[in-house]
Amino acid sequence: MVAAPIQADEFAKAEERLRRLSKILTTKAAIAQTPKEQIWALNKTKLYRYYPVVPAEKRHKIPLLLVFALMNRPQILDLRPGNSFVEFMVRQGYDVYLLDWGCPGLEDKDLKFDDYALNYLPRAIRKMKAVSGCEEFSMLGWCIGAILTTLYAAVCPDEGLRNLLLLTAPLDFSRKDLITFSQWTDERYFDVDKVLAMFGNMPAEMIEYGAKALKPVENYIGNHLRLFDNLDKPKVTESWHAMNTWVTDNIPMSGAAFRQLIVDLYRNDRLMQGTWVVRGERVDVSRIKANLMTVIAGDDHITPPCQSETIQDRVSSTDKELYRIPGGHIGIMAGSEAAKKTWPHIDKWLATRSEE
Amino acid sequence: MGESNNDGKPFDPFEAWRGIRNESLDAWSKVMIQAVNSEEYAKTSGAMLDAYLTASIPFNEMLKKAMTQALQQANMPTRSDFISLAERMTQVEMRIDDIDAKLDHAAMRHAEPPEKKKSKDKEKNKEGE
Repeated sequence: MVAAPIQADEFAKAEERLRRLSKILTTKAAIAQTPKEQIWALNKTKLYRYYPVVPAEKRHKIPLLLVFALMNRPQILDLRPGNSFVEFMVRQGYDVYLLDWGCPGLEDKDLKFDDYALNYLPRAIRKMKAVSGCEEFSMLGWCIGAILTTLYAAVCPDEGLRNLLLLTAPLDFSRKDLITFSQWTDERYFDVDKVLAMFGNMPAEMIEYGAKALKPVENYIGNHLRLFDNLDKPKVTESWHAMNTWVTDNIPMSGAAFRQLIVDLYRNDRLMQGTWVVRGERVDVSRIKANLMTVIAGDDHITPPCQSETIQDRVSSTDKELYRIPGGHIGIMAGSEAAKKTWPHIDKWLATRSEE
Repeated sequence: MGESNNDGKPFDPFEAWRGIRNESLDAWSKVMIQAVNSEEYAKTSGAMLDAYLTASIPFNEMLKKAMTQALQQANMPTRSDFISLAERMTQVEMRIDDIDAKLDHAAMRHAEPPEKKKSKDKEKNKEGE
């Protein structure tokens, strides 16, 4: 007789868990909630400015431009209220801008790194300068975004870039034994031209598979078990839901840029070898003179630390720092520890270098 | 009574099973990471993709041709028409952006105090000489 209410209670709990599971697996979480306005657009690329929340006199003078990868949505930088790098930086008094490359169509299959870094990016920077009224700026590039920002910083060193932050930057491709993608895309096994002849752009599904297959058990099984084990913990499930919404919303990568990534970088390491030619000009990373901070994720399986370390010794910048932090490729910026470690460190470094 | 452990948490009969499951998953994960990092995996996955592409590309080409012909006969725009239109749109957008840049520049010059403008003009003239 006593057991009945307990059972009823257990049933109610189980029902609630099932309802939550169903909601998480069938709906998209609300991400990228920090208020912003679009101030510029070109083709699919859009530039956003986040509304400041700090009075003008207390704001840092130098604006900050965030540049993310080409094949993922940049919403990871503004995942959800309370766990958003953008929200954090806006509250610290930065004038924050975000460049969203958008989703390339078949008409964009010929866009190369050259176009993104030396046509779209400078135009967006020009608009940011006009809106902020400041000739100097800071730029944060994450993952492929770090390749683009490095390219820009090397080719346009006198355009006002004061601070350059590179997050989990795949720049050095010489250690093929440590880079799984290098092995998979080896020319003996992977015919990039055949893939692009079929699809035009590199399909989002193939990119997503590639990223997940690096750690198949964790990504396909462990991740879902973690959700199932924590269904009665709303904080954990909300965080899982937001991350899953972002992870499963990939975009294709323009064919020509993907080909450059594979042939010029993964196979021939042309950036660090100093043989990468974009728009007829050799990219020389020693021309980079902006203050530099490189952030390395110690447990990064997508961009192993060896890919980001060497840039430090190759640039001309006199003010440079290498910040190594335990965590994964995405976790260091969007994981539970990010707000305690990575973001405050970036803020501290940038704050002292963001005054006129 | 015996339904809670020393931490005050309710007794969970699945906890031990979960521990075993997690340990075996960890072990399995390590094995799989090693496997995907092997040359055999790169070779096999490459061969599978290649086989799929070799089989699909001719069908894809055939379908594209048939669709283009059908659309052309029906006086309808084809995919390549849309692509070239989109490319032209981007070119137009670039020109508009160039104009926007000039307008921004003019607005900034207009907002500058006259002394600053004069000194900038002098600098320009010197560079010209």
